[in-house]
Amino acid sequence: MKFWRLPLDAGSHSIPIGELHIIKDRCKGCGFCIEFCPNQVLKEAPEFNKKGYHPPLVTKQGECVNCNLCEIICPEFAIYSVLKEYKELTAEDIAGYSKK
Amino acid sequence: MTPKKVQRKEKEEPRIGVYVCHCGLNIGGVVDCARVAEFAAGLPGVILSKDNLYTCSEPGQELIKADIKEHRLNRVVVASCTPRLHEPTFRAACEDAGLNPYLFEMANIREHCSWVHLHDKEAATEKAKDLVRMAVARSKLLAAQEPLEVPVTRKALVIGGGVAGIQAALDLADSGYKVYLIEKDPSIGGRMAQIDKTFPTMDCSICILAPKMSEAGRHPNIELLTLSEIEGVEGYVGNFTVQVRKKARFVTDSCTACGDCVKVCPQVAPDEFNAGLSMRRAIYMSFAQAVPSTYQIDMDLCLNKHGIIACDKCFQACQRQCVDYSQQDQILTLDVGTIIVATGVDVYDPTPLTEFGYRKFPNVITSLEFERLINAGGPSGGNLIRPSDQKIPKTVAFLQCIGSRSKRSNIYCSNICCMNTIKDALLIKEHWPETKILVFYIDIRAFGKGFEDLFQRARREGVSFIRGVPGEIIEDPETNSLTLIGEDTLLSQLYRYEVDMAILSVGIEPRKDSPVIQRLLNLSCAADGFFLEAHPKLRPVDTPTGGIFLAGCAEGPKDIKDSVTQASAAASRANILMAQGKVIVEAITAVVDETLCQGCGMCVKVCPYSTIREDPETKIAQVTQASCAGCGTCVAECPFSAITQRHFTDAQIFAQIDAITEEAPETKAVAFCCNWCSYAGADFAGVSRMQYPTPIRIIRTMCSGRISTEFIEYAFRRGAAAVLVSGCHIGDCHYINANHQTEKRVNRVWKKMERLGLDKNRLQLAWISAAEGNLFARKMKEIDEIIQGVTPEEIEKTKQILVPKKKGKGEGTEPKE
Ligand SMILES: Cc1cc2nc3c(=O)[nH]c(=O)nc-3n(C[C@H](O)[C@H](O)[C@H](O)COP(=O)(O)OP(=O)(O)OC[C@H]3O[C@@H](n4cnc5c(N)ncnc54)[C@H](O)[C@@H]3O)c2cc1C
Ligand code: SF4
Ligand code: SF4
Ligand code: SF4
Ligand code: SF4
Repeated sequence: MKFWRLPLDAGSHSIPIGELHIIKDRCKGCGFCIEFCPNQVLKEAPEFNKKGYHPPLVTKQGECVNCNLCEIICPEFAIYSVLKEYKELTAEDIAGYSKK
Repeated sequence: MTPKKVQRKEKEEPRIGVYVCHCGLNIGGVVDCARVAEFAAGLPGVILSKDNLYTCSEPGQELIKADIKEHRLNRVVVASCTPRLHEPTFRAACEDAGLNPYLFEMANIREHCSWVHLHDKEAATEKAKDLVRMAVARSKLLAAQEPLEVPVTRKALVIGGGVAGIQAALDLADSGYKVYLIEKDPSIGGRMAQIDKTFPTMDCSICILAPKMSEAGRHPNIELLTLSEIEGVEGYVGNFTVQVRKKARFVTDSCTACGDCVKVCPQVAPDEFNAGLSMRRAIYMSFAQAVPSTYQIDMDLCLNKHGIIACDKCFQACQRQCVDYSQQDQILTLDVGTIIVATGVDVYDPTPLTEFGYRKFPNVITSLEFERLINAGGPSGGNLIRPSDQKIPKTVAFLQCIGSRSKRSNIYCSNICCMNTIKDALLIKEHWPETKILVFYIDIRAFGKGFEDLFQRARREGVSFIRGVPGEIIEDPETNSLTLIGEDTLLSQLYRYEVDMAILSVGIEPRKDSPVIQRLLNLSCAADGFFLEAHPKLRPVDTPTGGIFLAGCAEGPKDIKDSVTQASAAASRANILMAQGKVIVEAITAVVDETLCQGCGMCVKVCPYSTIREDPETKIAQVTQASCAGCGTCVAECPFSAITQRHFTDAQIFAQIDAITEEAPETKAVAFCCNWCSYAGADFAGVSRMQYPTPIRIIRTMCSGRISTEFIEYAFRRGAAAVLVSGCHIGDCHYINANHQTEKRVNRVWKKMERLGLDKNRLQLAWISAAEGNLFARKMKEIDEIIQGVTPEEIEKTKQILVPKKKGKGEGTEPKE
């Protein structure tokens, strides 16, 4: 059955939200961060940077969970995330889980 | 197993002995047995023919045995009662005297003759002669057969680790067999692990289940495979090969369930075990008493996707280093002799019944959510709280039959929800005696042992029972309290009740994935979606497929006690097979003549047991003898006559038709009856002494699916006035659904007759069950009227124009004489 109700203990859980910083002109377009982000937060930007590559672009603002994977794998130190806030769970999040 | 070649025995001259039984006055009082015996003596191949008082008595059997030896009889025909009664007796006598039992044949002159024609001795005697003529003709073509002995692997597979599966596995393991217990979830336990107390005894559910779970977990004979599902099944009774996917758990067996990893995991999702009323992490154990007591990672939720490690927090937290992100699914191949299906039930989702506001109003919950709320180990610590404000409700309503007994959801009664509600009401009264409880019902079904007591106790404790389920629930958006509107059908009065919380007493239904299990194991499902038993009364835990049994709610809604009872029954049935170590397959199986098979694949499509496969290279059909049930449907379907059913060959059936139509065919009807229903129905008409006209001559086959269009047309070509094809009712076929083919074939002949301008009414199709003797007798009268109405010109025309279509080689096994 698909779940819909906000769990009774939802208040004691929260989701970390990362704020992404992209230093566009350092990026050499390897695409690792785009490919490996577990939440598929990034995609290729349409425009070129100074070096002539497509840097990453944040598409799903608020879905970065600040795991820092992109920061670790980026060979050019072009992306990093910092913890912005802890978000409270909502009924939409719950419906989203059930879809997975 | 390679299919045996059709037995073509070297021709030996038939030496037939015929015994016509008086059965006291039962036959002798109507049929002139001496005249029948005399008639038989004159039939070609008959060496001796006798009539005696009781052929089935000791002296009667001794006489047959002595004659076999003295006169070197190689065929024996007994004309007496139904073969469904004494065929085994006479077969044994033949075997005793060294004659292969498959060389014995019977003519049923009691149930099908003397008992149903009590007042027409002359016609009854003539009919008896015909029946003996048919039996003699068939007996000449009989061949000695050896039944197949198939070894049974002494290992069992149990699918589903609910209380039924656990019980079945324990019973078999205790009997000394190796058991594989397959559970798709991370832990065994099933629904029973989720519920708080159990009716009618009000035991703590997990307290009585947990010891059984751990016993199953550590039993030396049980191999527990959790997170596992079957992906393929091959083989047949006693010899199944099963492919199982054991999904990666990502936590090794060394896990001590300390829970250190959970605290650090950043990923959360609703907890399935608590019906979504609490959260769990990506690394978790489904519940405290889980067996195996090992954590697992939900990889859909974990940050580590596609083998890329984005997070290793749990790995770092685990002192015993049990976390292994690189684990892979394993595919296991298991050889087992028997399989028990105990896949249980899903709980009805009431969302589609929008009038109750489930998913809109937070204080409308299901009975499953209730179980988790009232459970001390649950998300609210056992406090029944309203989800909207987490306060204890003062007025609670239960709505019965939600998702049951209605055309809008499931039409059956879910069996457990009445008692479950009574249990729940008592639990509320126990903790919060002041709570006002209203139960809205259609009728309360408290039918089991101790159930009525519990119902009366609930009434004594002040629970109100109101007949009439609300038509609508509306919510006050301020307070989130609910108003129930409906009609009290006892008082014929409309009602409005204000309650703090409403509990939908939801029904149970077949698992969403049961079609997968059905396909893999070749099971059948009833109209309601639950797996079908081989016989609803007498083989309630067997399936139509040999070696596969049913236990628990997979077979139909039931409570724990019935699930456990059925599980032990299924284990005992499996035990019988494995203890014997072998099964005997009667020698009535289908055999393919490889030289005639053209690889068209028609037989593969119609076999109800999926037991025919095409050789991947030659395309030649191959029948697995051990799993062939012997319905003969494939034989009737093969356009090239490349398949023979042992003991029910085309030649034998044609010979019977010839015998019927040898004299005055225009006065007779040829009837084809299946052994299990319509032949038995004719027997029942006899036992009940229902009188009907004499023209009918019955040819017995195991299944109506054996009747090819050729038999029907041949009977007409031989001048028969009418033909009856009859079998079990659609849905009741003894061979799953072979009678669907019967229906198609009769339709085909009807169309052809119509096209040729023939009277298609002369071909009748009737579904007659073993209990419908009256229906059989009625049908006989109808057919008699049909025969009266057929003109000689019509019969002559039919003989001329109902010719077989020219088909491939091998066609026309029709007798040459
Ligand atoms: C809300 C509620 C309250 C109830 N209260 C009571 C009560 O008080 N008293 C009472 O007697 N009965 C009660 N029942 C009924 C009781 O739960 C059932 O009778 C019992 O659980 C049936 O057991 P089972 O093993 O047949 O099925 P289940 O408990 O459903 O177990 C089936 C198991 O098979 C597994 N499985 C399913 N499909 C597969 C597959 N393809 N491969 C591998 N594994 C699979 C499932 O994961 C599950 O573990 C209640 C039921 C409900 C829903
Ligand atoms: S920190 Fe993690 S979730 Fe956020 S963008 Fe980078 S890889 Fe994706
Ligand atoms: S690796 Fe996965 S399961 Fe382990 S803590 Fe991180 S997100 Fe949770
Ligand atoms: S058990 Fe009771 S509530 Fe459940 S479907 Fe049957 S009658 Fe309705
Ligand atoms: S159709 Fe019937 S007779 Fe033919 S192989 Fe299948 S079970 Fe056997």
